[in-house]
Amino acid sequence: MASLRDIRKRIKSVKSIKQITYAMKMVSAARIKRAQGAILSSRPFAVKMGGLIADLYTEMESSQFRDSPAYNLFAENPGADAVGLVLIAGDKGLCGSFNSSLLKAAAAWLTENRGKKMRVICVGRKSRDFIKRLKGLDLEITYEMVGLFPKAGYVHADILAANVLKMFSGGEVVSVTLIYNEFKSMLTQRVIREELLPLRHHILEAPDSAGRKLRDFSFEPEKHVLLEALLPRYIGANLYRVLLESQAAELAARMNAMEAASKNASDLIGGLTLKLNKMRQAMITTELNEIVSGAEALGG
Amino acid sequence: MKNKLLLTILTPEKPVLTDKPVDFVAIPAFGGEMGVLPGHASFVVQLKEGVLKYKDEHRREMFAVLNGFAEVHADKVLILAEAAEFAKEVDEERARQAYQKAKESLAMRGKDLDLDAAQAALRRAILRIKIAEFRKKYK
Repeated sequence: MASLRDIRKRIKSVKSIKQITYAMKMVSAARIKRAQGAILSSRPFAVKMGGLIADLYTEMESSQFRDSPAYNLFAENPGADAVGLVLIAGDKGLCGSFNSSLLKAAAAWLTENRGKKMRVICVGRKSRDFIKRLKGLDLEITYEMVGLFPKAGYVHADILAANVLKMFSGGEVVSVTLIYNEFKSMLTQRVIREELLPLRHHILEAPDSAGRKLRDFSFEPEKHVLLEALLPRYIGANLYRVLLESQAAELAARMNAMEAASKNASDLIGGLTLKLNKMRQAMITTELNEIVSGAEALGG
Repeated sequence: MKNKLLLTILTPEKPVLTDKPVDFVAIPAFGGEMGVLPGHASFVVQLKEGVLKYKDEHRREMFAVLNGFAEVHADKVLILAEAAEFAKEVDEERARQAYQKAKESLAMRGKDLDLDAAQAALRRAILRIKIAEFRKKYK
C-alpha cells in the first residue's frame, strides 16, 4: 500500500503535468485565432482565382492550349507507372488523434497502391517519420518539408507547389493524391483525401464554372499563355489553403486534447487528495486509539 | 459625380486593398505598363513584377506587386498578386540583412529542419530588395 509520502509525490507530479497541459492548451487557443484569421483572409484570393480560371475555362479545350505544356496538368501521364502522394501531417504530437487518423488514411492509400511505384512528398515531421519507417515498399520520398507549423505561409505553399509540379511533370507519376486534415470546427477535424493532379476533376466539378459564359474580355497575353501561368498559381493557392486548414485543425485538435488532459489531471488530483486525506485520518484515528487504550491499560 | 474605379488588391495571405475608389491605375502588365481609367474595356492581363501606381484625387500611391494577374471589368480593377507591398513600407536595409542571413543559413545546411524556412526567408528577402530597387527607380 502506498504511503502518505508516495501519494503526496504523485499529486505533485500530476499537478506539474496539469500545468504543462494547461499551458499548451492556452498556447493553442491563442494560436488558433491567428490560424483562423489566416484562413479567412486567404479566402477572397482563392475565390477570385477560381473565378478567373472559370473565365478562361472555355479555352481549355482549344487546340492551342492542347499543345502547351500546361495541358499536361489535365491529362494523366501516359506510360507512367508510379503514383504520387502528398501527405500533410503535423510537426508535433500531443494533439489527440490528429496525426494517427491521418496516418491511418495514408496507410490505407499505401495498401491500395501496394505493388506500384510510389512517390511521396511529406509535409510535417510526423508524416516524414511515418513514411521513413515503412519497409518493403517501392517508395521514394521526393521532397520533405518539416518545421513549418504553426507558421505556414504562402512561400511554403509556393515551394511545395513547385515540387509537386516537378514530380508530376517529370512524367513518372499517373496522379497525385493529397491527404490532409480539414478544419471543420473547433471540435472536429476530418481527414480528406483528394486528387490534386491531374487537374481536370477539380475545375470541372467546381460549382459555378459550368454554364458560366465568357464575358467580353480581351486578354494579354493570349489566353492559353495566361492559363499556362495561371494554373501553377492555382495549385499553389490550393495548397496554401490546405496547409492553413491542416494548421488550424492541428491547433484545434491539440487544444481539445490538452483540455481533456487538464481535466483528467484535475480529476486525478481530486481522487488522490481524497485518498490522502482518508489515509491521514485513518492514521490519526489509529494513533488516538492506541494512546487511549494505552492510557486505559495503565490507569485501569 | 465623376466615375471612379474600384481597386482591389488581393494576395494569397491577405487582401491588401478592397474596393478602394481611385481615379487612375497603372498596371505593370506583361507587355508593358498599362493605364486604366474609368470606362476601360474589360480585360485580363498577366502582371510582371513592378510598380502599380494609382491616383486618388491628388494623391499618388505606389504598390510593389510581384507575379500575378489583373482583371478589369465594369470599372472594377482586381489584382491577384503573389505579393503586394505598400512601397513606403519596404525597408531596403532590413531586406538586405534578411537576405544575408537567409543565405548564410542556407549555406550552413546544418539540419534539414531549417532549410525550408531559410529558403522561404530568402525568397521574401529577394522580393523585398526588388521592391526597394523599384522604388528607387521610380521615385
